[in-house]
Amino acid sequence: MDSLLLNHASRLASAEGGEHTVTIAGVGVYLGVVLIAMFIYLSMAKKGFGQRVFKNFVTGTFEQLYLFLENMAVNTIGSHGRKYVPMLVTFWLVIFFANLVGLFFPLTPTAVVGFNLGMALIVFGYVQYEGARANGVLGHISHFAGPKLPGVLAVLITPIIFCIELVSELMKNVSLTLRLYGNIHGGHQAVEAINHLTEKFYIAAGEFLLPIKLLTVLVQAMIFCLLTCVYLGLVTGHHDDHEHGDGHGEAAHA
Amino acid sequence: MGRILTFLVIGLGLMVGGVWFSHNVHLGFLDKVAEMGIPLDLGMTIATIGVFLALFPVIDTFYVKPLKEAIDSRNSELESTFTEAENLKSEMGKMRSDYEKRLADTEANAREQIQSSIKEAQNLRQTLLAEATEKADSMVKKANEEIEASRAKALTDIRSQVVDLSLLAAEKVVGENMNNDRNRKLVDDFISTAEVSR
Repeated sequence: MDSLLLNHASRLASAEGGEHTVTIAGVGVYLGVVLIAMFIYLSMAKKGFGQRVFKNFVTGTFEQLYLFLENMAVNTIGSHGRKYVPMLVTFWLVIFFANLVGLFFPLTPTAVVGFNLGMALIVFGYVQYEGARANGVLGHISHFAGPKLPGVLAVLITPIIFCIELVSELMKNVSLTLRLYGNIHGGHQAVEAINHLTEKFYIAAGEFLLPIKLLTVLVQAMIFCLLTCVYLGLVTGHHDDHEHGDGHGEAAHA
Repeated sequence: MGRILTFLVIGLGLMVGGVWFSHNVHLGFLDKVAEMGIPLDLGMTIATIGVFLALFPVIDTFYVKPLKEAIDSRNSELESTFTEAENLKSEMGKMRSDYEKRLADTEANAREQIQSSIKEAQNLRQTLLAEATEKADSMVKKANEEIEASRAKALTDIRSQVVDLSLLAAEKVVGENMNNDRNRKLVDDFISTAEVSR
């Protein structure tokens, strides 16, 4: 079974000629596996929604995930952070299941730069949209110029700060993309390398990395969501202070 | 539902566009990026954006919102249960204070009644004692009067008998009947004088 999957993956991987080139169709297949697993989980979870207390284990984990992400959003962004929870849940589920699939399959969407860049661009675009909505387009752009400086300092330093902030903002995409790619793809590479070292003894020593990879599965999903919250909080925090002042300190669901 | 359809259409469009881009557009700088060890397919990026645009409303509408409604409903149910419990508790507290108040009132009434009964008994005792004393005094007085009357009567009788005896004795001495009114009076006066001098 394993060799079949590996052969299938290598066929997909080498479809465009390069050993490291992953075709969109190949990623599509694994994304399909991820989405099927995710929707099976969600459907199992949904069966228990009618109960007064969620006795179903899957429903309980989904509830805990929702509450965890809601707390994260409220603590990081503010009381208005609840509206971003559906987006965070989607990101978390896709990244988590993709990482989980990566534990058992030779390829997974989160081990592909293009896929991760797509998610990062969604976050980037949404952060800019929310920033512009909260502060106005000019207010959001002037946000990159840093604090207001007097006289000559404003002429000399503000453009530099603006450029640095702009680069920093664009680098958030790279950061989100490469962190996830590096961790998941790097994990695969590490397993393959260790397996290669011990293959003459017929031992797949790379599998001993499974606990660390399992931790990575969770941590990377959490980090992506946390950073999304941080970026949203940075651009909408000001908006929260002025327009949702009455909502300050509102606690999330326990 | 219209929002979901819009996102689904845009998402599907981006997916198709991404696949088309991946197969038909070749950007030179991506080769350099791939040489640096980062194989990037922008068509896949576009398709990924499409996938997520389709996923967001689907997961939100069919899974997150029902979960949120279930949690909110459970929370409101719990809140109403707690409120009900609080109301019952306060009602019980009120009933308890009422009961304690009634108990205290009853105790006060009982104490007052006991005090009143004791006072009444004491008054009755005083009255009865006074009546008994009065009755005893009147009985003593009556007895004294009766004694006095008896004594007076006895004295009268004795005096009459003494007079008779004296007259009888004097008659024996004198030898004649001396039982006339004048002699009787003399003897009587004499006895009275004798009583006084005694």
